Amino acid sequence: MKTGVIGIATLLSLASLACADEPENFIKYRQSMMAAIGGHNGSASQILRGRVTPPGHLAMHANALRDLAADLAALFPEGSDFGETKAKAEIWSDWAGFEKAAGDAKTATAAFAEAVAGGDAGNIETAFKQVGEACKGCHKTYREKDD
Amino acid sequence: MRFWCGLALLAAVGVVQAADGEYLLNAAGCVTCHTAESGPPLAGGRAFTTPYGTFFSPNITPDRDTGIGTWSRTQFIAALKHGTAPDGAAYYPVFPYASYRRMSDQDAAAIYTYLQSTEPRRRPNLEHDLPWWLGRWMMKPWQWWMLDPIEPTPGTNDPTIERGRYLVDALGHCGECHTPRDWAGVMLRQSHYLAGSKQGPDGEAVPNITTDRSNGIGKWDADDLQYFLETGALPNGDYAGGLMTDVIDNSTSKLTAADRKAMAAYLKSVPAVATP
Repeated sequence: MKTGVIGIATLLSLASLACADEPENFIKYRQSMMAAIGGHNGSASQILRGRVTPPGHLAMHANALRDLAADLAALFPEGSDFGETKAKAEIWSDWAGFEKAAGDAKTATAAFAEAVAGGDAGNIETAFKQVGEACKGCHKTYREKDD
Repeated sequence: MRFWCGLALLAAVGVVQAADGEYLLNAAGCVTCHTAESGPPLAGGRAFTTPYGTFFSPNITPDRDTGIGTWSRTQFIAALKHGTAPDGAAYYPVFPYASYRRMSDQDAAAIYTYLQSTEPRRRPNLEHDLPWWLGRWMMKPWQWWMLDPIEPTPGTNDPTIERGRYLVDALGHCGECHTPRDWAGVMLRQSHYLAGSKQGPDGEAVPNITTDRSNGIGKWDADDLQYFLETGALPNGDYAGGLMTDVIDNSTSKLTAADRKAMAAYLKSVPAVATP
């Protein structure tokens, strides 16, 4: 009886492991991550444009962007290039170029978080522009256009 | 003495006009289409895949053999505003003269002056890759048949909106991609002005930019639009992709804040139309 339960539990956990990193799931995960990045980026831009002034929030968004964008290339494993994705085949055919573009996002978001921590308005604005450049630069080459 | 003063004044006028010309060239988006990927600026060679075949933009640097170095000002204005080549042939409307014809002669001449001051680059033009039935001779009748006279502008008395209309329609030629076309490639300006197109450059769909709230940009405020034209950032934190990235980088980000504000004010005044 005991062995049976353990056996079933083992089987179940193996099964859940097996489908945990299914490419379909990974694509959904990646899209949620990108939406989170977009959310923090959009919120930061509302604050930096002076449209809202929630106290302390800018640092939260800047730190979240830095953490979310720390390794974007890892969100695009081989085999996750089918189905409901706007990821272009160029990501995998030009992996070195893509890794560089993802690295730019890491550098830019880290610099933005640092600028926000430093508190100088001019630095913050420049660093935030660089974040935008990194997003745009990568999407231009490696993401299909919206309809 | 008077002679030298006159000469200096003429030179100064030339420099000012060339500077204006550079600004207008950016506003008119010349660089984006007339520069091949990682090619020399304005030397042509960018490919445009359209439902009518693949077109390659020509060299518009002042190189005398492969560019426009031998063109007169009048020839340039005829090309830009009327789609007529120096040899009298008609250009395919992939060259947006249907929009540029709304440009003032003065602005067209300033662009000419600036282009002639840029560095000549030798780069022979590529032949368009078109189906057998499509020939350049067909373009004269097409122009005669399809280019309606420019409709009188409704004419608001708001100078900001009118400046925006000029930037959007005449210089920026936004409608060339954002307005859908009929079977003959004519923009449906009357019924679907800026309502988005399924057949944009390189086969990509182009979004509706009317004030329609579900399909268009009706939920954006003027400030969102201005910020987008400056940075490419959408209100949801995402960024424009595809060809629009080039339009932002080469054109709208280089305009003055006042001109971006005018474009936004005009676009906010465009009636809502659902995407066809």
